[in-house]
Amino acid sequence: MNCLQAEEHFSAHFEDELDYQTLQAFEAHLAECEGCRHEYALFQESVKAAQQLPQIDASPYFMQTLQQRIAEEHCEKLPFWQGLLHVLNRPRWVFSGIILLIFATTSIYFYQENLFDKEPQPTAAYSAKANPQGVERTRSSSAQLTSQTTLSNRGALPRDVGGTRISNVMSAQPLQQHYVLKTVSYASAPTRGGL
Amino acid sequence: MPELDDELMQRFQKGDEGAFTLLVRRHQQPLVNFIARFINDRDSAEDLAQETFIRMFKAAHRYQPGRAHFNTWMYHIASNLCKNELRNRGRRDRYRVDSVVSNGSDTDGSTEQVDLIASAPADASFQPDVQLERKELRKAVQKAIAELPEEYRLPLVLRDLQGLSYDEISKVLELRSGTTKSRINRARLMLKEKLKSFMEPL
Repeated sequence: MNCLQAEEHFSAHFEDELDYQTLQAFEAHLAECEGCRHEYALFQESVKAAQQLPQIDASPYFMQTLQQRIAEEHCEKLPFWQGLLHVLNRPRWVFSGIILLIFATTSIYFYQENLFDKEPQPTAAYSAKANPQGVERTRSSSAQLTSQTTLSNRGALPRDVGGTRISNVMSAQPLQQHYVLKTVSYASAPTRGGL
Repeated sequence: MPELDDELMQRFQKGDEGAFTLLVRRHQQPLVNFIARFINDRDSAEDLAQETFIRMFKAAHRYQPGRAHFNTWMYHIASNLCKNELRNRGRRDRYRVDSVVSNGSDTDGSTEQVDLIASAPADASFQPDVQLERKELRKAVQKAIAELPEEYRLPLVLRDLQGLSYDEISKVLELRSGTTKSRINRARLMLKEKLKSFMEPL
């Protein structure tokens, strides 16, 4: 065995993988060649140094980040509605959604309550006073409507407001009357001299 | 007794995502270590390790337990990703060098990399000078490994740092057993030559 051949067996000898014959030849060469002995010693040192390099650890957030990335990629692949279901399937989303829904419903309810509370409500006395001529009523019209139609007939309201809309009221369904009621109430406010 | 990787993979194929989580927990440390040592960059190593697991997650239905081991499959994907990363870096570096030359100025544009040696846990049982010597040696070894050609560095890292068998390395790299052994021996000889100046006084 020469030096080049011995060098080819460095790894195999280091890992005890040489067969008996090659092992004998290799060790015989090392025994007589100082250069190869020295090189083999260096070889062993460098391999051991590489094997003793410390382990590089993953960060503590590795798993968390990976799960996020997988979830994102998973959602991207799904059709829109399935992706939406996937997101909604998470408990925290469902819980947040319910809370949001309750909040929204409550807000709308109170908003409407406040809106109707601010509505000016003509009194029954005013209605009676404002309707001396006894204008014909529709079947479902209220005392408020009566007062406003009377005002319109007396010319207290502008024609474009009182004339057109109130004429509608006279033949309108009850649902439409409510709309007219609101409009006319504001329009007629100065005539009552208070608001 | 812990479940084998193949068993966990089969459970995952049947829809048990917890099995995949277990596999990730089991292999994340060695995988990050392998990638960081191979590409010599810890920050990118985490990213590439995650990318490896994502690819495995997506391709899990194609995994056949009898055909390949989870370990070799994982390292195969990871080494391909690393090669791509290094190739892309090479292109970027070439572009950067070209632009520096064309601008006529040379700035300190060396790629900032995390010091893999400094990040290693210190061993308090040693004297400061011995610690320093060990740290220097680790630094020199890491530098020497990083300077090896890619086709030699990869089997060396798999063998000496990850502890894979020759058979496993052959499967990961899709090489014949003889070629794998010869590359590893060659890589170690190169490493010895690079560390010679450091080792001689010892």
